[in-house]
Order: sequence, then C-alpha cells, then structure tokens
Amino acid sequence: MKPASSYDIVVVGSGPAGQKAAIQGAKAGKRVALIEQEQGIGGNCVYRGTIPSKTLRESAVQFEHLKRSSEVFEGGLRLDVPLASLLHRLDEVVKAHESYMANQLTRNGVTYRHGRAKLLSPHDVQLEAVDGACQTLKAETIVLATGSRPRSIPDIPIDHEHILDSDSILSMIYLPRSLAVLGGGVIACEYAAMFALLGVEVTIIDKAERPLSFLDKEVVEVFQHSLQRQGGRFYARHTVKEVAWDGVSSVVARLGNGMVVKSEKMLVALGRQPNVEELNLEAAGLSLDEKGWLPVNEYGQTAVPHIYAAGDLLGPPSLASRAMEQGRRAVSHALGLPVGEAVNQIPIGIYTIPEIASIGLDEEQAATRYRGPIVGRARFTEIAKGQITGACDGLLKLIADPSGERLLGVQIVGEDATELIHLGQMALQNGATIDRFIDTIFSFPTFAEAYRVAALDILGQRRKRQGTVQAA
Amino acid sequence: MSAERPPAIDVISAEPLEQLLIDRIRQGSIELPLLPQVASQILGMVYDPNAEAAKLAALIHQDQALAAHVIKIANSPAYMTRNPVVSLQHAVSMLGMNLMSEIAFSASIKGSAFKVPGWDAEVKRLWQHSLASGAYAKEIARMRRFNVESAYLCGLLHGIGKPVVLQTLVLLAKEQGSTLSRELLHQLLEGYHTQVGLLVAADWSLPPPVVESITFHREYHYAKTAKQECMTTCLADRLAEHFLNPEALDEAAVRDHAVYADLNLYLKDIDTLLALKDQVRKAVEAMPL
Repeated sequence: MKPASSYDIVVVGSGPAGQKAAIQGAKAGKRVALIEQEQGIGGNCVYRGTIPSKTLRESAVQFEHLKRSSEVFEGGLRLDVPLASLLHRLDEVVKAHESYMANQLTRNGVTYRHGRAKLLSPHDVQLEAVDGACQTLKAETIVLATGSRPRSIPDIPIDHEHILDSDSILSMIYLPRSLAVLGGGVIACEYAAMFALLGVEVTIIDKAERPLSFLDKEVVEVFQHSLQRQGGRFYARHTVKEVAWDGVSSVVARLGNGMVVKSEKMLVALGRQPNVEELNLEAAGLSLDEKGWLPVNEYGQTAVPHIYAAGDLLGPPSLASRAMEQGRRAVSHALGLPVGEAVNQIPIGIYTIPEIASIGLDEEQAATRYRGPIVGRARFTEIAKGQITGACDGLLKLIADPSGERLLGVQIVGEDATELIHLGQMALQNGATIDRFIDTIFSFPTFAEAYRVAALDILGQRRKRQGTVQAA
Repeated sequence: MSAERPPAIDVISAEPLEQLLIDRIRQGSIELPLLPQVASQILGMVYDPNAEAAKLAALIHQDQALAAHVIKIANSPAYMTRNPVVSLQHAVSMLGMNLMSEIAFSASIKGSAFKVPGWDAEVKRLWQHSLASGAYAKEIARMRRFNVESAYLCGLLHGIGKPVVLQTLVLLAKEQGSTLSRELLHQLLEGYHTQVGLLVAADWSLPPPVVESITFHREYHYAKTAKQECMTTCLADRLAEHFLNPEALDEAAVRDHAVYADLNLYLKDIDTLLALKDQVRKAVEAMPL
C-alpha cells in the first residue's frame, strides 16, 4: 500500500453533488481530492440517468415532430426506428459533458482519483484502484456523494436482458414491441411516455390509484390522457405477485387479482437505494436511518461533524439540481463560508411527454391550508403557441390564496413545462402578486403567455367572489 | 478434455493445404456446418405439441450455428418486417415456433456435413469454448449494464470461423487422400479463422457488433463502433479458455490482462466472474455436442 496522502477535503463520487462540493472547496483554496469509481466523471446522471434518458426523450420528441410534419407534407416516414439510432447523439452529448466537467475540475485544481473508496476511520479513506493497488487518503473533511441505484426487489428477477431496471433499459438496442413498466413514479412515467411515443405498446402497473400520485391530480390527468392517446395503458391499484421470463419471447407478470400481463420486455422502476455497500460506513461511526438513507442536518452534516453527505444518498427526490446545491452547501458549511438560506422551494421537473413541472403548493395542498384558494387555469388549446405547434396537451395552473392576490404555487403540464416553471419560481421567491402577471406583457405567441391567461382567470373569479361578498 | 488421435495417414505439408484453403476461401465455397444432434432435438421438439417452448429457445440460444442461421433468416427480405434483427431473443420473438421448425429442418439436412471423423475432440473443444464464451459474455454485460443479448451473440460467434476452417481443411485433406497434423490444424485455425469468420458473417448478415467482435476481440482498441462488445468478448474468450483448459491458462495468467481495467472491473468483480464456473459449466453441459 502506498503512503497516505493528505487533503483538506476528500469528496467521494463525481456526480452533480460531488462535483459542486469539490469545486466549492477548491475555489476556497483548499486541497481537494475527488474520487470516482467509474472511468468517467459525472456519475449516474451522465452515464445512466438524466443525460442519456433526456437524450432519448429529445430524439423521441423530434421523431414525433417529424411524424407530424410528414402528415402535413403528406410524406411517408418509417416508424420502426432502431433504438440505437435514436441514441446516436448520446456519445457526443456525454463526451461534451465529460470534457466540460473535466476542464472545470482541472481549472479549479481538483485532484481527480479513479478508484473505489472505503472509509477506514473518520479521517481515512482507502482508495482501491482498478488494478487492486490501494492508497489511503487523509482528510480534514469528507463529503460522501455516492448517489443511488435502482432498488432491487428480491422477488423480481432483474436479468438486465428481458427484465430491466432504469440503469439497463438504455442498453437495449432495438425497440421492443411491448414494454410493461412496474411502478408509477417519475422514472417509470418518463420511460413509459418515451416508449409509447416511439410506438411501443406500454403498460404501467402500479399499486397506486394514479401515476405520480404526489403531484396535482388535474395535471396528472392531462399526462395520463396523453399517454393513453399514444396507446399507453395504466393498470391502477394492482400488486404484482410474480414476474418471470417465459424463456421464449415474453416477460409474464401475474398480478394480485389473477390477471396476467405479457410483454416483450419489462422495466422495473420501484424506487432507488443508496450506494453505500462499498463505503464501510461503520468504520467512521456512521449508520443509515430506518428508511435506509444517510441522515444529515440542514447543512448535510452527518452524525460525525466533519463528514458530510449530499445528493441521492440522502433520499428522494433524486434531483440533480438539488444535489448540486447540497454539495455546495455542505462544503461551504464545513469551511465556515456563508451558506445562504436553505432553499425550500425547488422546482420539480418531470420529463414525461408532455413535461410536468411543479413549484410551491398544488390545489389540494392549498385547500388543506387555506379555505377556498383560487385556482386559475390556462389550457394550451387556448394558447396560440399550443395551436401553432400542435402541442395542445397542456395546462398551466396558478394557485392563489383565497383573496386571489398572493401566488402560492404553479403546476404545469405541457411542452416546455420544465422551462416555464422558472417564471413561476421567480415570482414565488420574490412575492409577486397575481396582478403582476396581468400587468406584464408577454411575447406573443409563447407558452409563457399561459401565465397571463391563468392570472386573468383568477382575476375573473376574484371579481365574482368580491361581487358575491358585496351582494351578500 | 481427452485428445483424440487423428487417423494416421500421410501427413501433407502445410503449403499446398494452406493454398487449397485460400483458394476455397476465394471461391466462396465454404459453408457453415450445422450441428445435427441439436437440430434433431429441435426438430423433435417443434413437432411435439407438449414440448416446452422455453427449452426450444434455450437450445437455439446455445447453438452457435443455429443461432447464426436464425439471425440470417430473420434478416432475409422475406421476414424483415421491422428493424434488422440484432439478437437471438429478438429473432426468436419475431420468428415464432413455426419458422423454428423450418430452420430446424434445414439444420438437420445441413447437419450431416459437420461429421468430421477423427476430429470430434477438436470440434467439441471449439463448441464448448463458444458456449462458455457466450455464457461469460452475458455475465460481464450484466455486470457492466451493457446489452446482454448482443454480448452473448458476440461471445458465442466470435470464433465461428474455426469450425468452418476445420471442416474445410479436413475435407480438403480427404480430397487429397491425406490428412493433416494437429499442429498444422491449429496453425491454420489461428491463421484463417478470422478471415473465414468474416466471410460467414458477411454471408449471413450478422450484426455489426458480432462482425467487429470476430475481427477485434483480441485487439479491441482497434474496434470502431462496438468497443464494449469487443472488450467483453476478449474477456469472455479468456475466461472460457481458463475454464476449459486451466493448465494452459491458469488463474494468475487469466487475471493478468489490461481488459479488466479497460472494462473498469475491480478485483472484487473479477472474483465474482471467476466464481461463475458452476454456472458456466451448466450452460456448457446443457448443450453437449
């Protein structure tokens, strides 16, 4: 074993959380080592998660646009596109991302180490290189950012061949004729929507009453309607008793009620679990909470004060944006730098087709807290941009307090929802009133115009409500 | 693996036989032999209404010649209704049981060409190596989350040229009224299996990753688009060699290769792969020649 190297900060994991933690430390003039067990920088986000799935999504959407155009121009289009060709841009995207991240780390003087990390004590991290050579890194501060992976279910034999998880689904090189998706969460719905758009017969099976049950019901209904229009099905309130590959051509799922669902491939998307097995947490005096995640305080500090954690390791929601901020905050706190207020309003962006985005309260949450909140709606069928682009499956909801003046939340489903939400986010964070949207001139035609339409809807309801009060 | 003694007839020198092989390759008169035992099992199964479909798929899955035949047929204009077939599962799923019977029938006819008296041990060794390579390739792909189906096909078919070269050489020697030595056979197998494998791949329209694996499974750095498959095949080939012939390639030797680092496999992962011997043995024994 090589002699120990000393660093001010050792960061384990180079995903969004780890990168931002390392850069924050290096910018403060500290000696930082960043350990990554895979060959490239970026973690699951770049190689198996966000970047590849969104690249495929983009291809699927472009494909849909082409289909629409071929109808307009009365042209023909082959609909049986191989999956590999839809991912042809992925290598380029990943390389560009990798190169940008590597440059950023180098520019900031972060020492990058390729290997597997294992805690030997509260201050010692063992680095095992891929050839088995080991070295110990000593650190004043340790940031754990090892991320998460798809949750493995003992009764479901995921073989990454017929029964896949969200890590292996993109290793498919042809589009299956049918795909059963277990789970109704974000990853399940994102892939279900993509494959349905590509012409795959998709069936979502979940025990919940509706997919994405943590989101605004009306918004999810729009998504469900769109999924059904693409040929997708949602089997609600179903438990899965048994899943098996029949050895020939089908994955067979036997449901609790005796129903049998056969599909060419299956995606199991039933949550995620933290990557902690290799870390040897006990050696540093750490343990997981009852839900299996690493407990931390608001600064990402674990039970051992100089060991921090950030990102998916802390539990859902698994958002790269949240992970980045957690990484930055953790190191800022460790170094005694201004941390800033904890951001309690993080936009949720879901890359289904159409996209879904949310910030602040939804209608149900607002109704629980306030008596009679006012909800303004703008359907994309009423928005010129929606009609022009043909993207009419969309709804923007502004949730206001009972007076119809204060904005409480924004819920959107529709094209570009994950971009549109930031306008609502800024309004919320700056305490903008509903009238502010009415007094603002939006470019025409844009989807952002929906904010004004929804605000005018609130204005109408507010007047009606005031009128009712005055009349009484 | 006991070595069988080839018939002791006059041993012809390397040059004329090699030249004859080259001529045969140039003429394109080399045909891939199918395995009659497997073909007859499949033939028996497809006409048995009680036969298990799963067993049929497993048989096809493990037979390199039949697997390639299936791919070829699935990619022929008559059946290519959707995307090009890129894996066995894909082909089986597309072709169904009825077509399997046709394939099995043709396999049974062609199968007779594969009888190579006196060279059974060589054929068996090549066959077992293909099966073991396919089985290891699958596990490596599972571990690295690459496409398992494609990896299996690459592992199974990377040495498809060897039995073809063997068959051709034995036939040529017979035509000359002589035979060839084991040493010469191995020398020519090594020298020409890639070239012949590529001819077979082209003739059968094998998927590009398989073609690259046949060409670059040892020099995977030169692979153009299917580097992952070539690396996987390289490692699967070595693990299979160690599994079948541990005296020739012992554990220390099999561990000593840059492909592990290139595939980002750590010591623990290598231990896991080496511990799969029983699983691989089952896969090999399930398909005796």
